[in-house]
Amino acid sequence: MVVVDWIAPLIVVAYVIAAVGVWLGLWADGWGEITGVMWAAPSTDHWLGTNRLGQDILLRAVAATATAFEIGLLVALASSMVGGLLGAVAGLFNGSRLDELILWLKGTIDAIPFYLFVAAVAFALQGHAMAMHLAMIVVFWTTTARVVRAETIRLGQSGFIEAARAGGSTHARVIVRHLLPNLAHVLLVQATLVFVAAIKAEVVLSFLGIGVQDSISWGLMLAEAGQDIMAGQYMNFLAATLFLFGLVMAGSLLADRMQIRLDPRTRNQWRTQIQ
Amino acid sequence: MAIDNTGICRSCQVEYCGAALVICRIFLQAGQERVNNAVVPARPLPLIFPCTMENPMSFARTASAVVTALLLCVACERSGGNGEAPVVYRHAIDGIPASLDPAHAANIYSATLVVNLYDTLFRYRYLSRPYELTPNLAATMPDVSDDGLVWTIELRENVRFADDPAFPRGRGRAVTAGDVVYSLGRHFDPATRSQGAWLWRGKIVGLEEWIEAGANPDRRIAGLHAVDNQTLVIELTAPFPQLAHTLAMALSAVVPREAVEYYGREFGVRPVGSGPFILERFDESRAVLERNPDFDRGALDLAAEGLDPQRHAELGLEPLNGRTYPFIDRLEVHFITEPTSRWTSFVAGEVDNVMVPPEKSGQLLASRDPLRFRPDIERQYHTLAEPEAGFVFYGFNMANEAIGHHPDEDIDRANRALRCAMREGFDWQERNHTFYHGLGQVFPGVIPPFLDAFDPSLDASSTDHDPQRAQRRLQAHDWSPETLPRLTYGLEASVHQRQMFEQFRARMQTIGIPNERLRHRAFASFGDFSRAITGGELDLFLIGWTMAWPDAQYALQMFYGPNAAPGANSFNYSNPEFDRLFERAARLEAGEERAALYRQLNEMVINDCVHIGSLSRTRLHLWHRHVHMLPDREMLGGHFLRFVGIGAAP
Amino acid sequence: MTSRFELLGFVTRKLAASLPLLLGVTLISFTLTVHFGPDPAHAMLGKNPTAADLAALQRELGQDRPFWMRYADYLHRLATLDLGHTETSGEKVRDLLARTMPISALLLAPGFILGTALALFLAMVAAWHRGGRLDRLITGVSVVGMSLSFVIIIIALQAVFGVWLGWFPVRGWAVDGPASYLAHVTIPTLAFVFASIGYNTRFFRAMLVNAMNAGHVRTARAYGAGPARIMFRHVLRGCLLPIMTRIVYSVPALAISGSLLMESHFSIPGIGRVTYQAILSGDQPVIMAVVGLSAVLFAVAVTVADLLCRLADPRIRLA
Repeated sequence: MVVVDWIAPLIVVAYVIAAVGVWLGLWADGWGEITGVMWAAPSTDHWLGTNRLGQDILLRAVAATATAFEIGLLVALASSMVGGLLGAVAGLFNGSRLDELILWLKGTIDAIPFYLFVAAVAFALQGHAMAMHLAMIVVFWTTTARVVRAETIRLGQSGFIEAARAGGSTHARVIVRHLLPNLAHVLLVQATLVFVAAIKAEVVLSFLGIGVQDSISWGLMLAEAGQDIMAGQYMNFLAATLFLFGLVMAGSLLADRMQIRLDPRTRNQWRTQIQ
Repeated sequence: MAIDNTGICRSCQVEYCGAALVICRIFLQAGQERVNNAVVPARPLPLIFPCTMENPMSFARTASAVVTALLLCVACERSGGNGEAPVVYRHAIDGIPASLDPAHAANIYSATLVVNLYDTLFRYRYLSRPYELTPNLAATMPDVSDDGLVWTIELRENVRFADDPAFPRGRGRAVTAGDVVYSLGRHFDPATRSQGAWLWRGKIVGLEEWIEAGANPDRRIAGLHAVDNQTLVIELTAPFPQLAHTLAMALSAVVPREAVEYYGREFGVRPVGSGPFILERFDESRAVLERNPDFDRGALDLAAEGLDPQRHAELGLEPLNGRTYPFIDRLEVHFITEPTSRWTSFVAGEVDNVMVPPEKSGQLLASRDPLRFRPDIERQYHTLAEPEAGFVFYGFNMANEAIGHHPDEDIDRANRALRCAMREGFDWQERNHTFYHGLGQVFPGVIPPFLDAFDPSLDASSTDHDPQRAQRRLQAHDWSPETLPRLTYGLEASVHQRQMFEQFRARMQTIGIPNERLRHRAFASFGDFSRAITGGELDLFLIGWTMAWPDAQYALQMFYGPNAAPGANSFNYSNPEFDRLFERAARLEAGEERAALYRQLNEMVINDCVHIGSLSRTRLHLWHRHVHMLPDREMLGGHFLRFVGIGAAP
Repeated sequence: MTSRFELLGFVTRKLAASLPLLLGVTLISFTLTVHFGPDPAHAMLGKNPTAADLAALQRELGQDRPFWMRYADYLHRLATLDLGHTETSGEKVRDLLARTMPISALLLAPGFILGTALALFLAMVAAWHRGGRLDRLITGVSVVGMSLSFVIIIIALQAVFGVWLGWFPVRGWAVDGPASYLAHVTIPTLAFVFASIGYNTRFFRAMLVNAMNAGHVRTARAYGAGPARIMFRHVLRGCLLPIMTRIVYSVPALAISGSLLMESHFSIPGIGRVTYQAILSGDQPVIMAVVGLSAVLFAVAVTVADLLCRLADPRIRLA
């Protein structure tokens, strides 16, 4: 477990570097260019070979890292913000009409099958590039909200919010000054989990053809790979699988570590991984 | 292959595994009852859950009992079975029919089933190529008046609709000329939601008035009526030589009014016809058809069907000659959309035929030109390589003034140069190689090689990949990355379509059209794709056009002005000269004059750079040795299925 | 204990409380699929239609009516269980559901049961040896399992069993008896077990570890009771509630989302594939029936979970 402690952050850092490089245009710019023959075997020119069109598979996998981060970060940030805010408000006014409304909204979204919902949003936005992101944010904030709400209620019972209120703080001030610092660890862990979930969901959605539109992603590569396999070509599959697996695994481990390290209740006893 | 080729077990060892079966049947009753379309709750849940929670020991015991029972079942079903073995043919197709109502049978998947459940007046001969019509429900070929306006069609006697609860006392009745009139007329009732009305609209005397008056089937249509039970007369407003072809299409199949009214909206899943088979079950994975006992078209006459002893020698058809068809008791049509699954199902013997996915063809062929299968494949299976009766090509939206027609002559010329440059920048050979394994036929224009009107001497330079010339053309008309219009490339969201776009974009980049000038829009459904085309939202799109009859007119109608979107002219091509010549050709019987006009029209399409094309795919078919048939689905749809014979490998 | 009447009242109240939920679900889904959704008319037209044909078809489909009237109509039909006909084949939606739901249930049940049982077993082993090598192995493997995308699992299984080995049919549902059922259900079951076992094992382990810290478990252990006895008698009983809740909650999601991926990839004519096809072709009666159904399933699951809570601990008053 000690090894895991530093290896997971290291892997994540490597992915971040890969993604930042793509954003800065340092590498993998030419993921769409046709630079080789159809299904070339791995060589010094193409380390992981080429796909059906003769595009470099490694380049595509690296470029897809940036796509994965764009989706993961955007969805994680947005759903943490929405979920954190609504969860905190619901928790603070536990039992009020507002709480009921938020719970109703959460229940409604939870009750619609995920893929059906995303597909419907994708259609509604006429294949807009951000349709998938939006759909994921709308779906993923509910988990964060539930966790934050529960945590807020727990904090509320401990009495310090009442103390702050008694000291004359406004609601907004209570949330910003008192609640948020105490919720930070929950939000961070939750955001990491959403980050991982969003990347995994992207793969499935792109595979189904309702995900990433004007870019390259591991899901699209896997969709291509599904066709390549019959022709006995496995490089697309292997590349996308390894890249995806590495990031998701490192992300999950990181979330675990953070949960144990940051949660004041479990800081000293790593065994109990219960919320 | 361990699986018995006919898929039927001949010996039964009931005693040996009877006990196991009882356990299995209880456990899996739901699976059994599903056959009868019954709603059954999932049983395994309540069976196992209580044991998991309360008593671990009984859970373990139950689990091991269930597993043992299931294993025994497998052993037993492999060898079990009962009675006379029906002759079964299991046919695989690559799509799912949405509806079995003939009025919706516009695609090959529905048509495959519809022509086997219903009758069309005519059909194409089984083996003759080029395609030739022959009577089916009709007794003879139509009698056409000298001016080409009055068609008289005699129906075959003693043809009956299959027994069905829709009829009084459940007994099917004779098919009459009145049924043909009803079947064609119902296309014009909005409630039918017909996909075939366009075939006859505006072409039959009195039809429009009849539609205006409410398309009431009890009222007479002036130009479409039954003289007696056996005779049908169709009067046309103008000569329409292709009428006979439309009456061989699944869309024109003859339905009984009783069934349409009895089943209402559900008619699409409850077919009642006079074809060689009757539907037994139908879902999204397969249709099972049983032989129609009332169906009698006499014996198969191979010579009349166009047998060429040399070309068809390998198929083993001769033993079927002179026997009454259909030769099978049961026809299963499996809908397998995924290419991988289609191939593995075929190799495993789950289905009897396969249309080889292009990805696989490399491993099956010894040489591509001339096309030859590997010897071991030829030994193991029957093989067929034939061009599709259709083609794929890119079309431009000519209604967009940024790239299509423009009132200003100079701009119009510059737009044409841009389109022509894009055509020259595109590489059909590369497309053919990457997506069709180099087996497609690339040809100029829109008259594919399998048609009589095809001109082998036509200049093929419009299909050449010539980036230098494309760049020169762009320069000559002052097209630069700044002045180029932003173009939208439409596609249906699939892996191949997306890859084709990336290939197209990469080629355009090499002639100087930057990536950001060519953005794409993916549509998850065909309906949205075609709505976008109709709405003029797409400037460039890939289209596949399947010929419904073997006549270039069917392809050229895509460029006829009055057919503009939402019609077949998705490109909104508008050329009065083209329209004039097209109208002239439409009235002509087949012959030299008509072929010459077709060629002229084809060249106009090429010269105006309305499209980038075209390519006809080559279909590779394999089927198991014990099946005797020619599975040519082009034009024939599913008509060949009635002639399928099953027997020992010759 | 609570009386039977009280219980009935509780269930009724719970289900009634989910009415606003049903309204919300139907409104959102209806807006998305009907107001913004794909236009089935264009897909249903023939090859060479006229603008008049298009208009007539849209009228026939009721697309020219105002949104609220269509929504009210839909609610009315849902309430009276008149689900209408599919737009594509004209089959009754009720028949369609009756035909496809048992297939989905048969397809998913083995994987669901096996996956849960296996995960529970692994979690027990891990919890028993917590901190030990076996625990680390199991938690490590479950993280690996969680990191594998479902897409990867089904492609790999199809490649291995379908393309290389050819042992099982990799598509379709030609089920005529127990043997063909087993043959068809094997790969989907494997895929399902692979995909779910990581998540379940981790969750169950955490719950079990928590329960093992309880005093009476320590006592039982000190008295030298065997692992199976302790696990089932004491530990499992202690954390039955969260585990059952999780299982109950996963059913509605599983019924639609789980079957959608699996069935569309393996071409199995269950409710998921039918739904996916309906999404693609814009077959609104089917989509709306499925949404209504899943919302009802969800409401039932919530009620069942609450009921379990209440039965397990009568002090909790959730009403």
